[in-house]
Amino acid sequence: MSAKQGDSRNKINIKRLTLYALVTAVCLIVGYLESLLSIGLTSIAPGVKLGLSNAVALMLICSGDIKGAWAVNVTRICLASLLFGSPISFVLSLSGGVASTAVSSLLSRSKNISAIGISIAGGVIHNVFQLIAATFIVGFGVVYYLPILIGLGAICGAFCGVLARAALKHTNIFEFEF
Amino acid sequence: MKKGDFIVIGITAAVFVLSIGLLLSFSKQGRRVIIKQDNEIVYNQSVKLDNTVDIGTNCVIIKNGEVFVNSASCKNQICVNTGKISKKGESIVCLPNKVIVEIK
Repeated sequence: MSAKQGDSRNKINIKRLTLYALVTAVCLIVGYLESLLSIGLTSIAPGVKLGLSNAVALMLICSGDIKGAWAVNVTRICLASLLFGSPISFVLSLSGGVASTAVSSLLSRSKNISAIGISIAGGVIHNVFQLIAATFIVGFGVVYYLPILIGLGAICGAFCGVLARAALKHTNIFEFEF
Repeated sequence: MKKGDFIVIGITAAVFVLSIGLLLSFSKQGRRVIIKQDNEIVYNQSVKLDNTVDIGTNCVIIKNGEVFVNSASCKNQICVNTGKISKKGESIVCLPNKVIVEIK
Protein backbone atom coordinates (compact mmCIF):
# COMPACT_ATOMS: atom_id res chain seq x y z
CA MET A 1 0.00 0.00 0.00
CA SER A 2 3.01 2.23 0.50
CA ALA A 3 3.40 2.70 -3.23
CA LYS A 4 0.07 4.51 -3.41
CA GLN A 5 0.70 8.03 -4.71
CA GLY A 6 -1.29 11.14 -3.91
CA ASP A 7 -2.63 11.59 -7.43
CA SER A 8 -3.89 8.04 -7.72
CA ARG A 9 -5.91 8.31 -4.54
CA ASN A 10 -9.06 9.54 -6.25
CA LYS A 11 -8.87 7.24 -9.22
CA ILE A 12 -10.29 3.77 -9.17
CA ASN A 13 -7.35 1.44 -9.08
CA ILE A 14 -8.25 -1.25 -11.59
CA LYS A 15 -5.84 -3.82 -10.18
CA ARG A 16 -7.19 -3.35 -6.69
CA LEU A 17 -10.82 -3.38 -7.84
CA THR A 18 -10.22 -6.62 -9.72
CA LEU A 19 -8.51 -8.18 -6.72
CA TYR A 20 -11.39 -7.27 -4.40
CA ALA A 21 -13.95 -8.56 -6.88
CA LEU A 22 -11.99 -11.80 -7.19
CA VAL A 23 -11.69 -12.19 -3.41
CA THR A 24 -15.42 -11.45 -2.94
CA ALA A 25 -16.27 -14.11 -5.52
CA VAL A 26 -13.98 -16.62 -3.80
CA CYS A 27 -15.62 -15.77 -0.45
CA LEU A 28 -19.09 -16.41 -1.88
CA ILE A 29 -18.11 -19.74 -3.41
CA VAL A 30 -16.30 -20.86 -0.26
CA GLY A 31 -19.31 -19.79 1.82
CA TYR A 32 -21.60 -21.86 -0.38
CA LEU A 33 -19.30 -24.88 -0.28
CA GLU A 34 -19.07 -24.78 3.50
CA SER A 35 -22.87 -24.71 3.82
CA LEU A 36 -22.71 -28.15 2.19
CA LEU A 37 -19.91 -29.27 4.52
CA SER A 38 -21.06 -28.02 7.92
CA ILE A 39 -24.05 -30.33 8.36
CA GLY A 40 -22.32 -31.86 11.41
CA LEU A 41 -21.91 -28.45 13.03
CA THR A 42 -25.55 -27.46 12.63
CA SER A 43 -26.53 -30.52 14.66
CA ILE A 44 -24.63 -29.06 17.66
CA ALA A 45 -26.24 -25.63 17.38
CA PRO A 46 -28.58 -24.57 14.57
CA GLY A 47 -27.14 -22.17 12.04
CA VAL A 48 -23.50 -22.55 13.03
CA LYS A 49 -21.02 -22.33 10.18
CA LEU A 50 -17.26 -22.68 9.95
CA GLY A 51 -16.89 -19.20 8.50
CA LEU A 52 -14.37 -20.21 5.86
CA SER A 53 -15.13 -17.06 3.88
CA ASN A 54 -13.82 -15.15 6.88
CA ALA A 55 -10.51 -16.94 6.41
CA VAL A 56 -10.26 -15.29 3.00
CA ALA A 57 -11.10 -11.86 4.44
CA LEU A 58 -8.63 -12.56 7.24
CA MET A 59 -5.87 -12.93 4.66
CA LEU A 60 -6.61 -9.38 3.53
CA ILE A 61 -6.51 -8.08 7.10
CA CYS A 62 -3.25 -9.86 7.84
CA SER A 63 -1.70 -8.34 4.73
CA GLY A 64 -2.52 -4.93 6.15
CA ASP A 65 -5.34 -4.07 3.76
CA ILE A 66 -8.05 -3.19 6.27
CA LYS A 67 -10.07 -1.06 3.82
CA GLY A 68 -10.10 -3.98 1.43
CA ALA A 69 -11.29 -6.33 4.14
CA TRP A 70 -14.20 -4.00 4.93
CA ALA A 71 -15.12 -3.68 1.26
CA VAL A 72 -14.97 -7.43 0.64
CA ASN A 73 -16.81 -8.38 3.83
CA VAL A 74 -19.71 -5.94 3.43
CA THR A 75 -20.10 -6.77 -0.28
CA ARG A 76 -19.94 -10.48 0.48
CA ILE A 77 -22.61 -10.26 3.19
CA CYS A 78 -24.96 -8.24 0.96
CA LEU A 79 -24.49 -10.59 -1.99
CA ALA A 80 -24.74 -13.78 0.06
CA SER A 81 -27.98 -12.59 1.66
CA LEU A 82 -29.40 -11.64 -1.75
CA LEU A 83 -28.41 -14.98 -3.26
CA PHE A 84 -28.97 -17.53 -0.50
CA GLY A 85 -30.46 -15.69 2.48
CA SER A 86 -33.40 -13.78 3.85
CA PRO A 87 -33.79 -10.30 5.41
CA ILE A 88 -33.29 -11.84 8.85
CA SER A 89 -30.12 -13.66 7.85
CA PHE A 90 -28.89 -10.37 6.35
CA VAL A 91 -29.33 -8.51 9.66
CA LEU A 92 -27.68 -11.37 11.57
CA SER A 93 -24.66 -11.72 9.30
CA LEU A 94 -24.22 -7.95 8.96
CA SER A 95 -24.14 -7.40 12.73
CA GLY A 96 -21.67 -10.23 13.21
CA GLY A 97 -19.60 -9.28 10.16
CA VAL A 98 -19.24 -5.59 11.03
CA ALA A 99 -18.32 -6.32 14.66
CA SER A 100 -15.79 -9.03 13.83
CA THR A 101 -14.17 -6.99 11.03
CA ALA A 102 -13.83 -4.01 13.38
CA VAL A 103 -12.21 -6.11 16.12
CA SER A 104 -9.99 -8.02 13.70
CA SER A 105 -8.71 -4.87 12.03
CA LEU A 106 -8.01 -3.27 15.41
CA LEU A 107 -6.09 -6.34 16.58
CA SER A 108 -4.14 -6.58 13.33
CA ARG A 109 -2.43 -3.27 14.20
CA SER A 110 -0.64 -5.03 17.05
CA LYS A 111 2.58 -6.77 16.11
CA ASN A 112 2.30 -9.25 18.95
CA ILE A 113 -0.62 -11.10 17.48
CA SER A 114 -0.76 -13.58 14.63
CA ALA A 115 -3.54 -14.62 12.27
CA ILE A 116 -4.75 -17.26 14.72
CA GLY A 117 -5.35 -14.82 17.57
CA ILE A 118 -7.04 -12.30 15.26
CA SER A 119 -9.24 -15.04 13.88
CA ILE A 120 -10.27 -16.42 17.29
CA ALA A 121 -11.20 -12.94 18.53
CA GLY A 122 -13.07 -12.24 15.28
CA GLY A 123 -14.97 -15.54 15.44
CA VAL A 124 -16.04 -15.08 19.05
CA ILE A 125 -17.07 -11.43 18.55
CA HIS A 126 -18.95 -12.39 15.39
CA ASN A 127 -21.02 -14.95 17.28
CA VAL A 128 -21.62 -12.73 20.30
CA PHE A 129 -22.89 -9.81 18.22
CA GLN A 130 -24.97 -12.11 16.07
CA LEU A 131 -26.58 -13.39 19.25
CA ILE A 132 -27.24 -9.84 20.45
CA ALA A 133 -28.96 -9.13 17.12
CA ALA A 134 -30.89 -12.39 17.48
CA THR A 135 -32.23 -11.39 20.90
CA PHE A 136 -33.87 -8.37 19.24
CA ILE A 137 -35.50 -10.59 16.62
CA VAL A 138 -36.30 -13.84 18.43
CA GLY A 139 -36.32 -12.81 22.10
CA PHE A 140 -34.18 -13.14 25.18
CA GLY A 141 -34.39 -16.95 25.26
CA VAL A 142 -31.60 -17.40 22.71
CA VAL A 143 -29.10 -16.10 25.29
CA TYR A 144 -28.74 -19.71 26.43
CA TYR A 145 -26.75 -20.34 23.23
CA LEU A 146 -24.04 -17.95 24.42
CA PRO A 147 -21.54 -20.48 25.90
CA ILE A 148 -21.92 -22.83 22.91
CA LEU A 149 -21.49 -19.97 20.46
CA ILE A 150 -18.42 -18.60 22.25
CA GLY A 151 -16.82 -22.05 22.32
CA LEU A 152 -17.63 -22.85 18.70
CA GLY A 153 -16.61 -19.34 17.61
CA ALA A 154 -13.19 -19.85 19.18
CA ILE A 155 -12.71 -23.31 17.63
CA CYS A 156 -13.89 -22.27 14.17
CA GLY A 157 -11.88 -19.06 14.44
CA ALA A 158 -8.74 -21.00 15.30
CA PHE A 159 -9.35 -23.30 12.34
CA CYS A 160 -9.77 -20.35 9.96
CA GLY A 161 -6.70 -18.67 11.43
CA VAL A 162 -4.51 -21.72 10.86
CA LEU A 163 -5.90 -21.99 7.34
CA ALA A 164 -5.31 -18.31 6.54
CA ARG A 165 -1.78 -18.40 7.91
CA ALA A 166 -0.94 -21.50 5.87
CA ALA A 167 -2.44 -19.92 2.75
CA LEU A 168 -0.56 -16.66 3.28
CA LYS A 169 2.74 -18.57 3.39
CA HIS A 170 2.15 -19.83 -0.13
CA THR A 171 0.77 -16.74 -1.82
CA ASN A 172 1.68 -13.09 -2.00
CA ILE A 173 -1.35 -12.11 -4.08
CA PHE A 174 -2.39 -9.51 -1.47
CA GLU A 175 1.00 -7.94 -1.19
CA PHE A 176 1.81 -6.86 -4.75
CA GLU A 177 2.46 -3.20 -5.35
CA PHE A 178 -0.46 -1.21 -6.65
CA MET B 1 1.71 -18.37 17.72
CA LYS B 2 2.68 -15.13 19.39
CA LYS B 3 2.16 -13.69 22.87
CA GLY B 4 -0.99 -11.84 21.84
CA ASP B 5 -2.57 -15.08 20.64
CA PHE B 6 -2.36 -16.59 24.10
CA ILE B 7 -3.87 -13.41 25.58
CA VAL B 8 -6.79 -13.71 23.17
CA ILE B 9 -7.21 -17.41 23.99
CA GLY B 10 -7.08 -16.59 27.72
CA ILE B 11 -9.70 -13.84 27.44
CA THR B 12 -11.92 -16.10 25.33
CA ALA B 13 -11.67 -18.92 27.88
CA ALA B 14 -12.47 -16.48 30.71
CA VAL B 15 -15.52 -15.10 28.86
CA PHE B 16 -16.61 -18.67 28.10
CA VAL B 17 -16.48 -19.70 31.76
CA LEU B 18 -18.08 -16.40 32.81
CA SER B 19 -20.99 -16.87 30.39
CA ILE B 20 -21.64 -20.38 31.70
CA GLY B 21 -21.57 -19.09 35.28
CA LEU B 22 -23.90 -16.21 34.44
CA LEU B 23 -26.41 -18.46 32.74
CA LEU B 24 -26.32 -20.96 35.61
CA SER B 25 -26.99 -18.23 38.16
CA PHE B 26 -29.80 -16.94 35.93
CA SER B 27 -31.45 -20.34 35.78
CA LYS B 28 -31.03 -20.77 39.54
CA GLN B 29 -32.81 -17.49 40.19
CA GLY B 30 -35.61 -18.77 38.02
CA ARG B 31 -36.42 -21.61 40.44
CA ARG B 32 -39.95 -21.35 41.71
CA VAL B 33 -41.96 -23.04 44.41
CA ILE B 34 -45.27 -24.33 43.17
CA ILE B 35 -47.88 -25.64 45.59
CA LYS B 36 -50.81 -27.49 44.09
CA GLN B 37 -53.96 -28.52 45.91
CA ASP B 38 -56.53 -30.65 44.07
CA ASN B 39 -54.45 -30.02 40.92
CA GLU B 40 -54.91 -26.28 41.23
CA ILE B 41 -51.95 -23.97 41.75
CA VAL B 42 -52.42 -22.15 45.03
CA TYR B 43 -48.90 -20.72 45.36
CA ASN B 44 -46.27 -19.82 42.77
CA GLN B 45 -43.30 -17.74 43.91
CA SER B 46 -39.50 -17.70 43.78
CA VAL B 47 -37.62 -19.90 46.27
CA LYS B 48 -35.67 -16.81 47.29
CA LEU B 49 -38.79 -15.33 48.85
CA ASP B 50 -39.01 -16.47 52.50
CA ASN B 51 -42.61 -17.23 53.28
CA THR B 52 -44.98 -19.30 55.38
CA VAL B 53 -47.85 -20.66 53.36
CA ASP B 54 -50.82 -22.05 55.26
CA ILE B 55 -53.19 -23.75 52.86
CA GLY B 56 -55.52 -25.08 55.54
CA THR B 57 -54.50 -28.73 55.57
CA ASN B 58 -50.74 -28.23 55.34
CA CYS B 59 -48.33 -25.52 56.42
CA VAL B 60 -45.41 -25.01 54.00
CA ILE B 61 -42.38 -22.97 55.02
CA ILE B 62 -39.95 -21.49 52.50
CA LYS B 63 -36.74 -20.26 54.08
CA ASN B 64 -33.22 -19.63 52.74
CA GLY B 65 -34.01 -21.33 49.44
CA GLU B 66 -35.27 -24.47 51.20
CA VAL B 67 -38.84 -25.68 51.26
CA PHE B 68 -40.42 -28.01 53.81
CA VAL B 69 -43.82 -28.93 55.19
CA ASN B 70 -44.01 -27.87 58.81
CA SER B 71 -47.29 -29.44 59.74
CA ALA B 72 -50.04 -31.47 58.13
CA SER B 73 -53.50 -32.56 59.16
CA CYS B 74 -53.08 -36.07 57.75
CA LYS B 75 -52.33 -39.26 59.67
CA ASN B 76 -49.18 -40.56 58.01
CA GLN B 77 -47.18 -37.26 58.07
CA ILE B 78 -45.11 -38.44 55.09
CA CYS B 79 -44.88 -34.91 53.74
CA VAL B 80 -43.52 -33.59 57.04
CA ASN B 81 -40.99 -36.44 57.20
CA THR B 82 -39.82 -35.83 53.63
CA GLY B 83 -37.78 -32.97 55.01
CA LYS B 84 -36.30 -30.04 53.12
CA ILE B 85 -36.11 -29.74 49.36
CA SER B 86 -34.14 -27.10 47.47
CA LYS B 87 -33.16 -28.46 44.04
CA LYS B 88 -34.98 -28.11 40.77
CA GLY B 89 -37.32 -31.06 40.14
CA GLU B 90 -37.68 -32.13 43.77
CA SER B 91 -41.13 -32.41 45.29
CA ILE B 92 -43.04 -33.12 48.47
CA VAL B 93 -46.32 -34.97 48.15
CA CYS B 94 -49.17 -35.27 50.60
CA LEU B 95 -51.59 -37.76 49.13
CA PRO B 96 -54.34 -37.65 51.80
CA ASN B 97 -54.74 -33.89 51.33
CA LYS B 98 -53.97 -33.99 47.58
CA VAL B 99 -51.17 -31.46 48.00
CA ILE B 100 -48.03 -31.35 45.87
CA VAL B 101 -45.14 -28.99 46.60
CA GLU B 102 -42.57 -28.84 43.81
CA ILE B 103 -39.61 -26.77 42.73
CA LYS B 104 -39.47 -25.84 39.07
